[in-house]
Amino acid sequence: MTAITAVGAYTPRFRISAAAFEEAWGHFRAAGISEKAVPAADEDALTMGSEAATRALEAVELEGTDVDWLAFATSTPPVAEADLTARLGAMLAVSESATRHVFTGSTRAGTRAIWAGMDAIEAGSGATALVVTADAPIGHPDSELDHAAGAGAAALVLEPDGPAHITDRAEFAHPYPGTRFRNTGDDEKQGLGVTQYDRRAFTQTIGGAVAELEHERDPDVAVVQAPDGKLPYRAAGAAGVDTDAIRAAATVHELGDLGAASVPASLAAALAAGTKSILAVSYGSGAGADAFALETAGDVPARIDLDGDATLSYAEYLRQRGVVTTGPPSGGGAYVSVPSWQRSIPQRYRLEAGRCPDCGALSFPPAGACDGCGTLDAAEPVELAGTGTVEAVTTISHGGAPPEFAPHQSRSGDYAAAIVALDAATDDRDRDGDGNRNENADANTNADTATPRTVSVPAMGTDAAPDAFAVGDRVETTIRRIYTQEGVTRYGFKIRPQMP
Amino acid sequence: MRDAYLVGAGQSAYGAFPEESYRSLFRTAFDAAVDSVPDEFDADEIDEAFIGTLGVGGRQLGLSGPAVTEHVGLDGVPCTRVENACAASGFAVRQAVQAVKSGMADVALAGGFEVMTDMSSDATKYWLGVSGETEWERLSGTTFSGVYAQMASAHMNEYGTTREQLSRIAVKNHANGAKNPHAQLGFECSLEDAQSAPVVADPLNLYHCCPTSDGAACALIVSEDVVDDYTDDPIRVAGVGAGSDSVGLFQRDTYTGVPASRRAAKTAYEMADIDPADLDFAEVHDCFAIAELLAYEDLGFCEPGEAGDLIESGATELGGDLPVNTSGGLKSKGHPIGATGAGQVVEAFKQLSGTAGERQVETPTRGLTHNVGGSGGAAVVHVFERQQEVSAR
Repeated sequence: MTAITAVGAYTPRFRISAAAFEEAWGHFRAAGISEKAVPAADEDALTMGSEAATRALEAVELEGTDVDWLAFATSTPPVAEADLTARLGAMLAVSESATRHVFTGSTRAGTRAIWAGMDAIEAGSGATALVVTADAPIGHPDSELDHAAGAGAAALVLEPDGPAHITDRAEFAHPYPGTRFRNTGDDEKQGLGVTQYDRRAFTQTIGGAVAELEHERDPDVAVVQAPDGKLPYRAAGAAGVDTDAIRAAATVHELGDLGAASVPASLAAALAAGTKSILAVSYGSGAGADAFALETAGDVPARIDLDGDATLSYAEYLRQRGVVTTGPPSGGGAYVSVPSWQRSIPQRYRLEAGRCPDCGALSFPPAGACDGCGTLDAAEPVELAGTGTVEAVTTISHGGAPPEFAPHQSRSGDYAAAIVALDAATDDRDRDGDGNRNENADANTNADTATPRTVSVPAMGTDAAPDAFAVGDRVETTIRRIYTQEGVTRYGFKIRPQMP
Repeated sequence: MRDAYLVGAGQSAYGAFPEESYRSLFRTAFDAAVDSVPDEFDADEIDEAFIGTLGVGGRQLGLSGPAVTEHVGLDGVPCTRVENACAASGFAVRQAVQAVKSGMADVALAGGFEVMTDMSSDATKYWLGVSGETEWERLSGTTFSGVYAQMASAHMNEYGTTREQLSRIAVKNHANGAKNPHAQLGFECSLEDAQSAPVVADPLNLYHCCPTSDGAACALIVSEDVVDDYTDDPIRVAGVGAGSDSVGLFQRDTYTGVPASRRAAKTAYEMADIDPADLDFAEVHDCFAIAELLAYEDLGFCEPGEAGDLIESGATELGGDLPVNTSGGLKSKGHPIGATGAGQVVEAFKQLSGTAGERQVETPTRGLTHNVGGSGGAAVVHVFERQQEVSAR
């Protein structure tokens, strides 16, 4: 048996309404969607997946190092070739020897990852599996597909036993060429739009998968793949559920099409809501479907953040998505090579600082002579807490950004750039100058040992307007796209206002 | 060690000169320096040359020193290129002083040049950022406007310094620059203009930022053994100080000051055996308005936190107790990176030799120049002292 032992879900903070599309286009082509989530300029499937995975692990108080099987599923990977699980695993501190898989190629990828995770658990080859699903579909701006396209991510922790058991599963496939597809080399998905044919692909494969389940079901809710806000309900009959059961778990009306994260995100939300029995059915064009039956016997630890906090106009939507902006200017001068960036990944992803073996001072990045005592002895690696306090901050306006960041500024607008005093990790704070844990150290003052509790780092602001950052404000770190050069996107931490 | 003297200094105009090359600009500055020497000066007498340039645009990154000295006929003269970002030629002057004081040279040329306006603004920005800490500071999305804005935010938070006080720096320096025929932005600006300009990096607006410039400057430093050959009214290099620090602001001990400037000033004052109160004028590194306010405190013109009051008092205006940036400073005169430090020495020479025209400080004895590289990774301070006035005292 396989159980879901924790779930996390994340959507970007931006929302755009159907009305904004109607104003721009004269119509809105995505039926049944009133509002949808939009990724920020510095987000993609990898960063959203990292956000959701971090939440799932936090919910059940697991560390990345506890994970021995990792899957990443998306129909919109930021690169077509290159194993993104290496970077995702490093962001989450998953062991370098953990099993890793990438699932892509259709919106069914998310449930294929769950399927493979179950196989690993049931074969005994994994004890703690982390399934990370994320998507941000892109279509031609006036297509139904783009109007429906949302953005979000969900992560599930699978273990042999836990509060939510997956009691049954089945799959089904039947060839339907010309349903939603993305040709090699293209960024935009497309479909022929043969309405009845598309619907038949959807209902036939979903019906086929559900029919293969061993037992008759009468679930409290039915989580059904949602390419738009109407199609799931057309599959009610095929799935043997009523439309109210589908509506109870639907996220598409407020978030849009979440692609490979559609079923996992709605499933996570349903589990977080304490639902007892769930039927979950995905659909991937081409076409195929996966069906799962779940029964819960207790609360599933969950951290679900599916609310937005900023509404975009259609013009802002085009800017954030980079539809109407240009690429980086040509130039020269300052340059950070990919190998030198790669060497800094422990700092960029995991905030790995150094603690001086002689005087206990923190350093970031941990290289060179100690700031505190000048020793050239190598610092001991220590991870920072991911929270901190703004020490100095500016809002970069037009003319103030390095050229590498011109495309980002063009898309996101003005941004905050700060120096932040990042906190030492809690278990590293009460140490004396020799790095030994100081059992009696006062939790607040630490005056006896004078061990520095913060280290200053420069960081860009995200997830909030630039004027939301002021000297003295508390912030937390999160991983985002920093910039892209030579075709390689460099990911690293940014800061955002600390969440309560 | 023997004394070193400043016997001549000159510069090209600062601005945008599509018809000029870095070499022709340097030629103009070199000729002006030679012409400024009171008595006969023969270029053949130069023993050593130090040339500061950052190399914006990459036009001649290697051997950029000899590339300009050979252009003015100094083919055989040992020439060293000095790179310390915006303090390149301030440090070139220091090298010339060292060469003379050590006895290795009797006559040394210190100069600098930069051409920054012959490329797209994007390409220029690639180069402007190169003296920031590249891997972390720049990749948090900042160039120097952002880093100095961060310092301004910390200073405002700590001491209550205001945007209006920042704007007053621009008003003062433009008023001075309007009296300097070599100034790039030689026009006056109102406090209202200086407060309502577009924001570049909050709290810094366009009037709080210096321009990008083309230009060159040269200074001639000679030993006490030969100074009488060139002038009857010698200007002594009374004090020299320099300091360095972490390249990135985030790695420094403070954001409300520039420790390298403090170290440089302390050394220079000790060598000159003076206090800041003994100065009659100063040319300070005002690449951004906040930088001039920080300099007031770092150089001891006022206590930490009081720079805002000092600019408001009018003490640093022409006619005040300690006029600062009579040339117009980087803000109005311009900031051709590699030329700036030597250009400050040109202003000191003009003031101390009584040739500063409309912006002349009344009978000055002592002046200071202060040149900063990057956001404070390097700083150099010189104190120049006119000997006639001093001996008469």
